[in-house]
Amino acid sequence: MGESIVSFKAKGNELILVMREEDDFREILESISRKLDSSGRFFKGASLDVRYRGKKLDEEQERIIAGLISEKASAEVKSFEEDDISQEQENGYEYVEPDRTKDKLKMKLLYFKGLEEGMTKFYRGTVRSGTLVSFDGNLVVLGDVNPGAEVVATGNVVVMGSLRGMVHAGADGNKEAIVAALSLQPTQLRIADVITRPPDTNGPRQGLLPEIASVRDDIVYIETFLPQYK
Amino acid sequence: MSEVIVITSGKGGVGKTTSAANIGTGLALSGHKTVLIDTDIGLRNLDVVMGLENRIVYDLVDVVEGNCRVKQALIKDKRYDGLYLIPAAQTRDKSAVKPSQMIQLCDELREEFDYILIDCPAGIEQGFKNAIAGADRAIVITTPEVSAVRDADRIIGLLEANEVRNPKLLVNRLRADMVRRGDMMSIDDIIDILAIGLIGVVPDDEKIVVSTNRGEPAICDNKSLAGQAFRNVVRRIKGEEVPFMSLTEDQGFMPKLKKLLGLKAN
Repeated sequence: MGESIVSFKAKGNELILVMREEDDFREILESISRKLDSSGRFFKGASLDVRYRGKKLDEEQERIIAGLISEKASAEVKSFEEDDISQEQENGYEYVEPDRTKDKLKMKLLYFKGLEEGMTKFYRGTVRSGTLVSFDGNLVVLGDVNPGAEVVATGNVVVMGSLRGMVHAGADGNKEAIVAALSLQPTQLRIADVITRPPDTNGPRQGLLPEIASVRDDIVYIETFLPQYK
Repeated sequence: MSEVIVITSGKGGVGKTTSAANIGTGLALSGHKTVLIDTDIGLRNLDVVMGLENRIVYDLVDVVEGNCRVKQALIKDKRYDGLYLIPAAQTRDKSAVKPSQMIQLCDELREEFDYILIDCPAGIEQGFKNAIAGADRAIVITTPEVSAVRDADRIIGLLEANEVRNPKLLVNRLRADMVRRGDMMSIDDIIDILAIGLIGVVPDDEKIVVSTNRGEPAICDNKSLAGQAFRNVVRRIKGEEVPFMSLTEDQGFMPKLKKLLGLKAN
């Protein structure tokens, strides 16, 4: 099983054909034909803007494929042209992990606003030293975060375990973000651009309760959040 | 005049990081402005040994990538003035730094510091090449074990190939009692093989473990024998002639008395 010769990607009224440079036109045509036979009904009656990438086609070949699509899928082909990859990155259609360094350079005017309800990633397992878990949204870790590990989210961070590593909530500047953990003893805790660390004198704290950290007036406050302990 | 000194060993676990922390602290204590650079990207430890882990905001990779100024990545030690640390990145890869960038960084730090100590990662790959790139001098750490000496020999060869002149040897974790019984390589055995100058002999000391876990270098502990050995190493680095500590100390009066009283001589 390799990558198939042609793959379809649909986005709104756009159909994108991804082909491979090394295949010859006949094979591609056959593959498109087979694909349309099995899934062509999906496009029935639609009017499509077809883009293709991965292989250069001449006008004659473009015409043949356009004809094939309109015939087999009973769809109207409004346009048929090569896709400009530089304009629309390949990864625009798939989720990619946010690149922190790039984000930093690009001054974000709007920060992540889904703190109450929004995109959330669930990470299952222990985040060990040297591991970075980051997400453009809220982040829930079902496990511990060990010293030397980093947990970074543009939204809230919730750790269902002991938080001993570095944590950064509201990483794109949202001071409303919170950090909560069943045992909150981070190496360093950051919310937006406020950075705190535990005092040097404190040894390991005893009898830890679930706690929540939030920022008010650029100061990090740590409180218990279960009503029975308040 | 400032100096860049790399602390390396080849083998892991012989005490590079502990030595770097102690020597760096010792140099700062004797009034020299000193910066420690951890080049063990992905497996950083020096910050933990120094007890500065929770102060890290920017690291070595941030500096070489230009995400921050060098000054921003310098972490001031919590106990001693004139002692600074540039930590390694933890969630990155060794390939994030190039030797040319290390040379540039060292040259930049030379303007401000008297001593720049580089803690080298174990191994002879990219991390090692980065660590030695900007170095003027090298201190090779070994323990009195055949495997560690073998790796030290390889490292000395590589240092010479890379034109780091006149590396010095620091023998760590020596146990005088075992040497006397013939169960451990002696200093002479090691020097016979490696044929380089000795800069210090540090005895095996339980206090090192305690101080490492606490994040306080043992060199500040006046009672610690290892601390004393590191103080001597520091003085030798500065060019002083210091006689080597007697390693047969436990045949002195006190241990003999202890033995008489039935206490364990150590």
